[in-house]
Amino acid sequence: MITNIAPQTSAVTNSRPMRPHWAEIIEIEAEAPGIATYWLRFLDPALSKGYIFQPGQFNMLYLPGYGESAISISSDPENRDLIGHTIRYTGNVTQNISRLKVGDVIGVRGPFGTYWPLEQAKGSDIIISTGGIGLPPLRPLLYYVAHHREEFGRVVLLYGARTPKDLQYTDEYDSWEKAGIETMITVDRGDESWKGQVGVVPILFYRMRMDPKKTFVLTCGPEIMIRFVVFEALARRVPSDQIFVSLERNMKCGLGQCGHCQIGPYFVCKDGPIFSFAQLEPYYNVEEL
Amino acid sequence: MPEPTLEIGSTYALQKPAFNQLIASLHSMGYQTVGPVVKGDAITYAPIQGLEDLPQGYTSEQDGGRYRLVYTGHPRYFDVTPGATSWKQYFFPPRSEMFTASKEGRNWRIEETPQSIPAYALVGVRPCELAAIHIQDRVFLRDEWSDPIYRMRRESAFILSVNCLHPCGTCFCDSMGTGPKADTGFDLNLTELEDFFLVEIGSEAGKMLVSGLPIQPASAFLIQNANRGIDEARKRMGRVMPNSPELPAFLLSNLEHPHWDVVAKRCISCTNCTQVCPTCFCWDAFDQPSLDGEQSKRVRVWDSCFNPDYSYIAGGNTRPNTRARYRQWLTHKLASWHHQFGVSGCVGCGRCITWCPAGIDITAEVAALQKEPIS
Amino acid sequence: MNCDPEISAALQSIPWFQEIEAMHFESMCGIASLKTVEAGEELFREGDKEDYLYIVLEGRIAVEIFVPGRGRQRIFTAEPMEVIGWSSVTPVVRQRTASARAVLPGRLVLLDAPKLRQLCDEDHDLGYVVMRRLANVVASRLLVTRLQLLDMFAHPGQEASNA
Repeated sequence: MITNIAPQTSAVTNSRPMRPHWAEIIEIEAEAPGIATYWLRFLDPALSKGYIFQPGQFNMLYLPGYGESAISISSDPENRDLIGHTIRYTGNVTQNISRLKVGDVIGVRGPFGTYWPLEQAKGSDIIISTGGIGLPPLRPLLYYVAHHREEFGRVVLLYGARTPKDLQYTDEYDSWEKAGIETMITVDRGDESWKGQVGVVPILFYRMRMDPKKTFVLTCGPEIMIRFVVFEALARRVPSDQIFVSLERNMKCGLGQCGHCQIGPYFVCKDGPIFSFAQLEPYYNVEEL
Repeated sequence: MPEPTLEIGSTYALQKPAFNQLIASLHSMGYQTVGPVVKGDAITYAPIQGLEDLPQGYTSEQDGGRYRLVYTGHPRYFDVTPGATSWKQYFFPPRSEMFTASKEGRNWRIEETPQSIPAYALVGVRPCELAAIHIQDRVFLRDEWSDPIYRMRRESAFILSVNCLHPCGTCFCDSMGTGPKADTGFDLNLTELEDFFLVEIGSEAGKMLVSGLPIQPASAFLIQNANRGIDEARKRMGRVMPNSPELPAFLLSNLEHPHWDVVAKRCISCTNCTQVCPTCFCWDAFDQPSLDGEQSKRVRVWDSCFNPDYSYIAGGNTRPNTRARYRQWLTHKLASWHHQFGVSGCVGCGRCITWCPAGIDITAEVAALQKEPIS
Repeated sequence: MNCDPEISAALQSIPWFQEIEAMHFESMCGIASLKTVEAGEELFREGDKEDYLYIVLEGRIAVEIFVPGRGRQRIFTAEPMEVIGWSSVTPVVRQRTASARAVLPGRLVLLDAPKLRQLCDEDHDLGYVVMRRLANVVASRLLVTRLQLLDMFAHPGQEASNA
């Protein structure tokens, strides 16, 4: 899907795969309470020019003294200049990232993991169902679709957040709509001024009409939300190999080596984070796997 | 008698006292020789200088949660099966520093932590342990990348394995197809007979080493003796794993088996099984900053799927109890491992049985699961 | 019984009324009326006596519950083709469990609730069809309410009341 216009340079050294590559914080953009996007540029010019990723992949961000955290890439895959990571300040590493300023330097390894099935979905309809911090890993795909709209059928984004102020990328919804992405937003708790929809994201999905055979369903967010979207998609007879989910697990390496992220036979960091439901089906209803 | 032409794959005979010349040759080639020694009433691995350091006359009694070193006074050097330690510590140390990041203005500079270690010659590697090393090779040395710490240590090592003629009560390498005889993957492989060691050459390095030794052609009698010993060892395995090509699929379709609850009641999540396992590879990484915040060491340590933090993510723990953790460990070892690395993660060494304080027996647990499968 | 063509056309556009017998359709048509609402207009208020079952044709209707000290909490929005005011048809509940007002200008079908209950009582075949559809409405409302209750976007450690 993303053609390599320059020889691909990855921020993973094959002989030193745990060694980070440094990048400067060029801009910090507040998105919602406790969530901001960090725009990074690699210090190494070759890497800055050649680094390439696919929508849905992630990097390991390293803050010396605190450690690493797996963060999905949320920027335009065809923008070679800046790489965006939308971060929720939730753990030890990310809370300390929140103290960094423009001009500070952060370690990056990546890109890691599988990506959204843009290639398979060409010519098909795409329904994206996401909520909360599940939107950032889908934004690269939205950029791609917006730039290559003709490659796809109907494209719908269903996005939910807890309250209106928790919504991310609010100034981009219009541009997505203009690019032909039907954008539907809902919040769990509306306030007086909120004119949009109130209700959990799966409601938006329940209301959708779709042609299951030619529809790809992509979902990312809290696992409970993913469950209800997947079950409804299956009930609508969307084939399980056209339903894709992105999972989150504890990760220390991104290489399928440290062991933490396993679910069933998979390393989520290497065989995921994006799986087709056909892959996950045998394990999906096993509790505490 | 003409000097035998040395060939990889050929077997020769070496009189026992000449073993020390072999060790001396390893030293002269720059290796530090490490092998089994008796320490604190158990077998452990430590530097050795010759036959005199080996546990001659010892054997061990091992059972679920039980280990006793027994001195019988027999003349053999390699009759005793391993203790809790495994060779994995030499290639994948329990704690290693990956690098140090030092502040330079607003930037950081990375310095690799130099790994000043000798080239190790591992002496007395059991076939099950040899298999474990090759399994860890698949984990740490991939086509696309390799782990530098493991690679440096592993590539410089010499492996002298020893076939196992006296398996103990918790051994089941025969069921896992990893022993009691080593087939490949060694530099030299020994079989200990009464007066001789049979020496099989497995590599160019092994060939070079043997070329200076007073070896003889191995007579048919000696080879027959060795083969008989190995055949008898197969019969004396203390445990049998109900292993089959269907085992991985069986386990992954029995993830909700009630027996997981039964094991969970006995398991205390102590992590012993993962620490003694020669193939368990999970690790954790953390930063160790200097007090002034100007430097930070990135450290890697052995982790265990039995640790509560192992599966923690913001918002909760995906494996919040012992049932989930034991199931993860067993199914990873015997089932998922095949998907991930094309081989079982169990070599049948029996350490997890011996060193489990609750005496939980992986072979018995699999048998119990198979007794009343849910699917 | 004669059926107003505008009402008939409106009902036919609603999936709820598809695959319903002609006789039943006519009965329903006889108790239906149409209503347009302005943004902000209130349809009913919590505690009101039940009068109508509503089906949204156009617009967006907010379902709200008043919480003393926190004001009106918007818990759900009904989109076109969705039913609100389900409690008007249930055998036991006899007052509004929430308030409803239009967020956007809209158009609705109103079914006279007492008459609908009466129709269902008199003709159990029709009653079964109505109650079955109603059960679906209540079940889906229950499902999404559960998900709201789980507060799935709450940050770890964040109090559920911090909304």
